[in-house]
Amino acid sequence: MSKHGALNTFGRSGNPALRADTFSQSAQGNRSSGGIQATDSQTMTLQGTVNKTGILLALVVLSASYTWNLFFQSGDAGAVMPLAIGGALIGFIFALVTIFKKQWSGITAPLYALAEGLFLGAISGIFEMQYPGIVIQAVGLTLGTLASLLFLYKTGIVKPTENFRLMVTSATMGIGLLYLVSMVMNMFGSGGIGFIHSNGLFGIGFSLFVVAIAALNLVLDFDFIEQGSEMGAPKYMEWFGAFSLMVTLIWLYLEMLRLLAKLRSR
Amino acid sequence: MDANSLIFGSMAVISLAIFFYLGRFKASSKQTDREDRIDWSTRQFSLWKIFLYALVLVVGIVLVLQFI
Repeated sequence: MSKHGALNTFGRSGNPALRADTFSQSAQGNRSSGGIQATDSQTMTLQGTVNKTGILLALVVLSASYTWNLFFQSGDAGAVMPLAIGGALIGFIFALVTIFKKQWSGITAPLYALAEGLFLGAISGIFEMQYPGIVIQAVGLTLGTLASLLFLYKTGIVKPTENFRLMVTSATMGIGLLYLVSMVMNMFGSGGIGFIHSNGLFGIGFSLFVVAIAALNLVLDFDFIEQGSEMGAPKYMEWFGAFSLMVTLIWLYLEMLRLLAKLRSR
Repeated sequence: MDANSLIFGSMAVISLAIFFYLGRFKASSKQTDREDRIDWSTRQFSLWKIFLYALVLVVGIVLVLQFI
């Protein structure tokens, strides 16, 4: 796809992520600064997105360490539960705001990271208490998956196509549906969908499938970021790209924790 | 420091270093110069189709469970 052709295509689009006004805003930025060509300081770059991902990761670790320490000091899950549930809910709200108001990503993405960190620190503490050493395993495997898939993507070994996008998005939605049905069943006291949480072969197989789908979502994130920087998307899209990577990483980490817990409980 | 922390901790640090180093570079031409790249400006498949596929997956899993 030539750059010019791609710009024409993007210009016609109505996609909320990379739509026509994304590029007109970018062009306005160039005009206001008197420049003709886009420069790195005005448009989305790979370096900028990587840096912002680093900032979000640091914020997650910072707030997670707070609830982690609080949990191990008190030794009581009840002491961190309000912060964990509050963090998850506030994080969800900031995630929705970021998705619908991408221009605000520079503020809402760091707030999302801080809120999710509170949740992750508490959950990780509870898992660590039950299965010592599980958290460092999950962190290592999650970041290992991130680096491996980035290598496979950059070298062109894994090539995301429209069909790939359809399959991964559908599978992600399917998993979401299953979790939702299980949650609703739990609320009505029927115990949810048993195999999702079981440590039997099917439960472990299901967790492996979910981990694989979460990992494949990373490839979609890499492609989105790569194309955004190629097309000269506005600077705030660096925060949005880092945010989408962070959402996938947090999901992958939680699924790794569940998978490892199932394996350790056998 | 036990072996578990050493192995997985090193894995995390090395992976982060790879991410921050590799992430700065453009993907290879094998990745970028293809006709079948995803067009992030348009959605080729409707949300209904995605939902239908998701439903097929859920029903498939439930059916498999029935036979196990």
